[in-house]
Amino acid sequence: MMKNLVKIATCLMLTLSIGGQAYAVDGGNPKKGKHLYKKECKACHSKGDAAGELTPMSKTMSQWDRFFQRDMHKVKPDVFENLSEKDRLDIQQFLYDHAADSDQPQTCG
Amino acid sequence: MRTLLSILIANALAFSGSAYSADQEQQKLADLKQQLAELAREIDDINSRVDKNERHTSLDRIEITGDFRTKAHSLHYQNVTWNPAIKVDFNDFGQKAMSGAFGMPNDPSSPLGQMLSANPDLAMAFQNGLLQGVMPYVLAPKTTQDINNDIFYTTRLRLNLKAKVWDNVSFAGRLSMYKNWGDSTGTQVFDSWRSFTMDGTSSGNTSGDWLRVERAYFNWKDIGGSNTFLSIGRRPSTYGPPSHYRENEKRGGTPSGHLVNFNFDGLTLGYNLSEITGIDGQIVRFCYGQGFESQWGNGEMFGDIVTKDTHLGGFNIDAINDGNHFLQFTLFGAKDINDGFKGTMAFPTQLAGIFAPTMYQDMQKFSNFNFETRVQPSGVIGDMYLGGIGYAYESDEDMKVFASLGWTRAEGNGNAGMFGGMLSDAVFEAQLNADGSEIIMMPSAADSDDAKDGYGVYVGIQLTVPYGKFGLEYNYGSKYWTPFTQAQDDPIGSKLATRGHVAEAYYMFDINPRMFIKLAGLYYDYEYTGSGTPVGAPQKIDDVIAGTAFSMLPAVDTAYDVNASLVVNF
Repeated sequence: MMKNLVKIATCLMLTLSIGGQAYAVDGGNPKKGKHLYKKECKACHSKGDAAGELTPMSKTMSQWDRFFQRDMHKVKPDVFENLSEKDRLDIQQFLYDHAADSDQPQTCG
Repeated sequence: MRTLLSILIANALAFSGSAYSADQEQQKLADLKQQLAELAREIDDINSRVDKNERHTSLDRIEITGDFRTKAHSLHYQNVTWNPAIKVDFNDFGQKAMSGAFGMPNDPSSPLGQMLSANPDLAMAFQNGLLQGVMPYVLAPKTTQDINNDIFYTTRLRLNLKAKVWDNVSFAGRLSMYKNWGDSTGTQVFDSWRSFTMDGTSSGNTSGDWLRVERAYFNWKDIGGSNTFLSIGRRPSTYGPPSHYRENEKRGGTPSGHLVNFNFDGLTLGYNLSEITGIDGQIVRFCYGQGFESQWGNGEMFGDIVTKDTHLGGFNIDAINDGNHFLQFTLFGAKDINDGFKGTMAFPTQLAGIFAPTMYQDMQKFSNFNFETRVQPSGVIGDMYLGGIGYAYESDEDMKVFASLGWTRAEGNGNAGMFGGMLSDAVFEAQLNADGSEIIMMPSAADSDDAKDGYGVYVGIQLTVPYGKFGLEYNYGSKYWTPFTQAQDDPIGSKLATRGHVAEAYYMFDINPRMFIKLAGLYYDYEYTGSGTPVGAPQKIDDVIAGTAFSMLPAVDTAYDVNASLVVNF
């Protein structure tokens, strides 16, 4: 009985610890983020640019979150450093909301 | 991994200037070799796993997402009035009766004698010379009742398919199941055009426990390096803006949901103007489709095809779509509309009593049997045009407000089938059946072939409130308002097709980003009959209730739908 309890508790703790690592951006303003993304990101990441084209669909939701939490644009860190925390959160929210695995508008073209 | 390697290399370099004894060096080297071997094994293992992933990704070419909705409705209809009559040309009838074409009136076995003895009131009026010109020929006594369906459950499952075919080519599809609980017959008793099972509305009408292909189309973008795209297939032509707000969804279809909510097969040729003008989301689309196929599978033994293919064409322009502002212009034309579609229905016994007395003799013995029948239209009744302007504003704080103005124009050609012509009634003429034993009434022409304009207004607001969203919507349709929104899945009938007023209020509780509960109430106040169909002349509901106007199908005065739904997106 005790052993089972320990097993269950361990499983629960594991589940919680794994669940706790899942991170979803929250609290950013995606509409503001869209303007910022077009101004700040598209400057270097448009079609044909050396830095490579990026759209929200380039990554999944969790990949965007990881990028903003861990990578922090380390290729050119100053790009991120020049943005306020609030601006970064707004951009992150916009990219997350429109990521490859987010709900997409259903239209042709 | 890189960090680990750096440490190992640094370790290895540290040895070169070491003051360790030979034994200790040997030991260290052995440890290093072992660690490297372990690393190599680890990399091999990761490689083989990545290979499997890579292979799986390459072979797994379709993404499947979906949503599941379960909904409980309480449906209440007031003053549902059935007052059936047909308009008969009694001058023509009198002429034929006088000429002896229908036999002698005083011979009880003649067709005319039979008809007069079966309808004593008609006989009296006829003999007194009261029947002149085109007059209603009442088919059954008027009935008025309230109908309450206290609980009506539905389940909707939709599976979205998405595949990247090439850099600029994608495929999208949607398989849908929409059923009401405890029923998978797929065919309903024909008491309204809503209950007619057909291709264009199968996604919005409960049909049973099978998955239907609601959408399937490809998108071929940037053709030849230009901003042109082409898409062919079963179109994303339902749940269009601004009707997607009440669904708590992103834009669910291309055309304005105020004018079009109907499954169409066709194509779209579009051009991304925003690449040139710099205005976000500016797209011009030419859309073409076929709403009805007249020859294939129709007619009688390769003959008697009097219907024509229905072709639709028009423009759908997103003038701006930048996340805050959305402005859309729509203009469509539909050529050769027929007096119905191919479809199936369970034939109502009451109609058999009126139109098929011989069949009715037997049908009475099976009061709970309806024969299921395939129906095809009987002829072309004219052309239609639709136009509209829709605007929606979404604030940065996610408040949404929208207004849409729609216009429909019906141009009849004077033809009519059993239920009427283009927004006009059929005038019936008496004639003998094939063996000359019975007088039957057959539609001969429409009572008018004027062009008829209708208009509709649709406004709404959605506010962010504690726990979710609160919305209010209102729409109005005039006497001749005839949009193609019959696939909208409101059980009482497409609210946006209503000739009259509809008000809706809803509260959506967001449980998490992929799940919400919606509580809603809709109130319908119909002003004219025939909402959602171009067939038949709209009659004032008040006149039908008063008995001064007639309706072949039951007419609803007011109705309300209180519902709760739970939606899970996965």
